[in-house]
Amino acid sequence: MTARPAPKSLQIVSAFGEAPIFKAGDEVRIADRMPVGHYRVPRYLRKKIGRVEAVVEPAFVDNEEEGYGRNAGSRRHYYRIAFPMIELWPDYTGSPKDGLRIEVFESWIERV
Amino acid sequence: MTHTEHDHDHNEHDHPHAEINQTEKPTYYDMLETAIRELLIERKLFEADEIRRQIEVLDSRTPALGAKVVARAWIDPNFRKRLLANGRTACEEDFGITFYDDTELIVLENTDKVHNLIVCTLCSCYPRPVLGLPPDWYKLKPYRARAVSEPRKVLAEFGTTIPDDVEVRVSDSTAMVRYLVLPKRPKGTETFTEEELADLVTRDAMIGVVEPKLENGSAAHV
Amino acid sequence: MSDSSELVIRLPNDIGGMPADPINPIDHDLAPWEKRCHALADVLDFHKIINTEEKRCGVEALGAEMIGKLSYYERWIVAFSNILLRKGILTPTDIALKMKEVAARYS
Repeated sequence: MTARPAPKSLQIVSAFGEAPIFKAGDEVRIADRMPVGHYRVPRYLRKKIGRVEAVVEPAFVDNEEEGYGRNAGSRRHYYRIAFPMIELWPDYTGSPKDGLRIEVFESWIERV
Repeated sequence: MTHTEHDHDHNEHDHPHAEINQTEKPTYYDMLETAIRELLIERKLFEADEIRRQIEVLDSRTPALGAKVVARAWIDPNFRKRLLANGRTACEEDFGITFYDDTELIVLENTDKVHNLIVCTLCSCYPRPVLGLPPDWYKLKPYRARAVSEPRKVLAEFGTTIPDDVEVRVSDSTAMVRYLVLPKRPKGTETFTEEELADLVTRDAMIGVVEPKLENGSAAHV
Repeated sequence: MSDSSELVIRLPNDIGGMPADPINPIDHDLAPWEKRCHALADVLDFHKIINTEEKRCGVEALGAEMIGKLSYYERWIVAFSNILLRKGILTPTDIALKMKEVAARYS
């Protein structure tokens, strides 16, 4: 969030889902789920461990819900997450420096 | 749409149905598109003008637009900084580029340490507001399947070799964020004007599968 | 036959990391109907008649065989038709009669 922090004395409480749960630098795991229907988290990411590079602003509707015509509703954050290629592909033959970046919706992310 | 810069298989389509002879009866899908569009217009869900306008919008977005953004970033450090901080607002403010598809834009800077490549494995997400519509190969299985798991082999097939001490960083679009690669400015272009620099920047360089080269379209200087 | 649940769990468009052919860097100029189809997709999204994510979901719902055999915009227009039918915006008869009317313009 880029907003300036509020003075402590005001004790402003944000609603559920308003503030991002994770922050840049957090180590996270992508959930291991096998849902029926539309999803936007590719299979190759499931169970993989990465690091939050950035919180994507603004919060947005879950695109898996949008897939069924829900154009409004609960907004959460997407996170740009960094993975080493070797974490995603154990047989990766490129340079060990190589990596991947991808946006994942909050509901798919677990704290390690 | 621009054709690929590569010199093979210009005539090969992703599907034989793409061959359309305008003097004959339209294909099933062509007529289906007409039927759906006309039915929705008759029901007043939108107006015919909106389709016409959107075709103009699509036609106004080409890789030449992205090339102008890249060239500006090469010569104007302040713009470059704003572009990297927020690609969408920098494109909106300095070029009047509208993000009609309501996407955000992250501009990925190539450096001596990182080479960026963009892909959409799940469908065909692409920075359409800035580059226009993606080429067929970007939407087909070989690129989408392999760019995330063996990017160096994919790059080699485009004639691009990245040294092992440079990170190849693949960005896979899944949501409302789109990417544009800001390539490295080629050496030997110190005297080039902004316009001449823009001429060096190809669509494929902004996807990240090639690097801009002096010999590609700088005839005036060679 | 192997476990059929894989057909349910993996969407036909989820192909990242799968074995595939060398890149063939092809492209083509869009046919007029393809460009109209793209403009239609955008207008449908602007009005949230069919949003972009519903379009993706609708293409996936065509199944692997149609995804493999139809071209890009062929998939889109069939997906739009299915979604409009499902939402009750159009009926099968509406589309059938309008298609006959369109075809008659070329006979």
